[in-house]
Amino acid sequence: MSRGDTVLARDLTFELSPGEAVLLTGRNGTGKTSLLRALAGFIEPDAGAITLNDESPANAAPDFMAWLGHADGLKSAETVRAALRFWADLYCEPRTAIMPALRALEVDHLIDRPAARLSRGQQRRCGLARIVLANRPLWLLDEPAGPLDGEGRACLAALVAAHRARGGMVIAATHQPLDWPGAHSLDMGAI
Amino acid sequence: MRVLTAIFAREARLAWAGGGGAAGPAAFFLAAITLAPLAIGPAADLLAAVAPGILAFAALLSVLQSAERLFGDDFSDGTLDLYLLTPTSLAALCLAKVMGQASATLWPLPLIGVLGGLMYGLPPLSALVLGAALLAAIPALALIAGFAGALAAGIKRGGLLIALIATPMMVPVLIFAAGAGRTAFAGDERAVANLLLTLAISLGTVALAPFGIAAAVRGRSG
Repeated sequence: MSRGDTVLARDLTFELSPGEAVLLTGRNGTGKTSLLRALAGFIEPDAGAITLNDESPANAAPDFMAWLGHADGLKSAETVRAALRFWADLYCEPRTAIMPALRALEVDHLIDRPAARLSRGQQRRCGLARIVLANRPLWLLDEPAGPLDGEGRACLAALVAAHRARGGMVIAATHQPLDWPGAHSLDMGAI
Repeated sequence: MRVLTAIFAREARLAWAGGGGAAGPAAFFLAAITLAPLAIGPAADLLAAVAPGILAFAALLSVLQSAERLFGDDFSDGTLDLYLLTPTSLAALCLAKVMGQASATLWPLPLIGVLGGLMYGLPPLSALVLGAALLAAIPALALIAGFAGALAAGIKRGGLLIALIATPMMVPVLIFAAGAGRTAFAGDERAVANLLLTLAISLGTVALAPFGIAAAVRGRSG
């Protein structure tokens, strides 16, 4: 896998079974985000194959993955309620799942606030609420805990644990030590 | 269907909330058609003769106003990636998105076109034909602007690129939409043919452009 002329990772092999989590670590620029984007099917690896239940990411990803990138996908003029209603419709999930998702991240009191008036951490919590709402088996999270406070990281850890207990999988790129019991760690800098 | 309705409604809502809705294109269109006669001069017969061309041309430029925001905002706030991961055809999603925005921002153009035509001295019937031609041209103009906007998403000074990509593609619509008004003014029965050709280009664009927009979105996201 490469970005421009820089080879980011080679001979990388891993497999994920239901209930497992992988934390991608490594210095800035070692290809954590590129690996996540390849897994989501946004970019193609130079060599090798990524399969989701024997299918390519481009085909299988929409029904299989929930994606949280650097940006949270919120529109500054839109309230949290309007944004999550839209995403519930787009993911074909019931709107009744919105409030439980917001409550799990302790941002239910912000539901009528436009995204422009949320702090970075609050925006990230709403982005994570969208991941919960998407109700997909594999979560791809790029620096999920970046702007979060200690309490937010605890919420995230609880959500990840619940998701894995249901047989879900999580792959997250992170700089912060995340206390996720039993998560595998993959150091991108060492590859 | 629920997905497409949701994205159509959201784009219309966002266009009102963040972009002033129809005010931007309408203000640009009004300003352009008000300034043109000042430059051309007060000859009434000349103004009536050039009205269809000026009005169609100004409408085309005002459609380009919002093209940069259409996919640029989605690119910078991460929404574009999320569109790739929705269980709907990306082309249909892009069509709903562009049409949602167009329905919220471009609806005054045919109305202003009729009024502008009357102001320039077109007979009422010719002005109405011109308004109808602008209405028929809107889907094509909006989708071509959307295609250029998707190609330029996230590029600095993408407006320039959008103008370079979109304007040549808009030439046929411009010719037939203006032609409908011009032939109607000349009492020529080819006005209907021009009107139908404008509509035909719009329908063709509705059928083809979404796939181009989807490919552009995929490319910009990768």
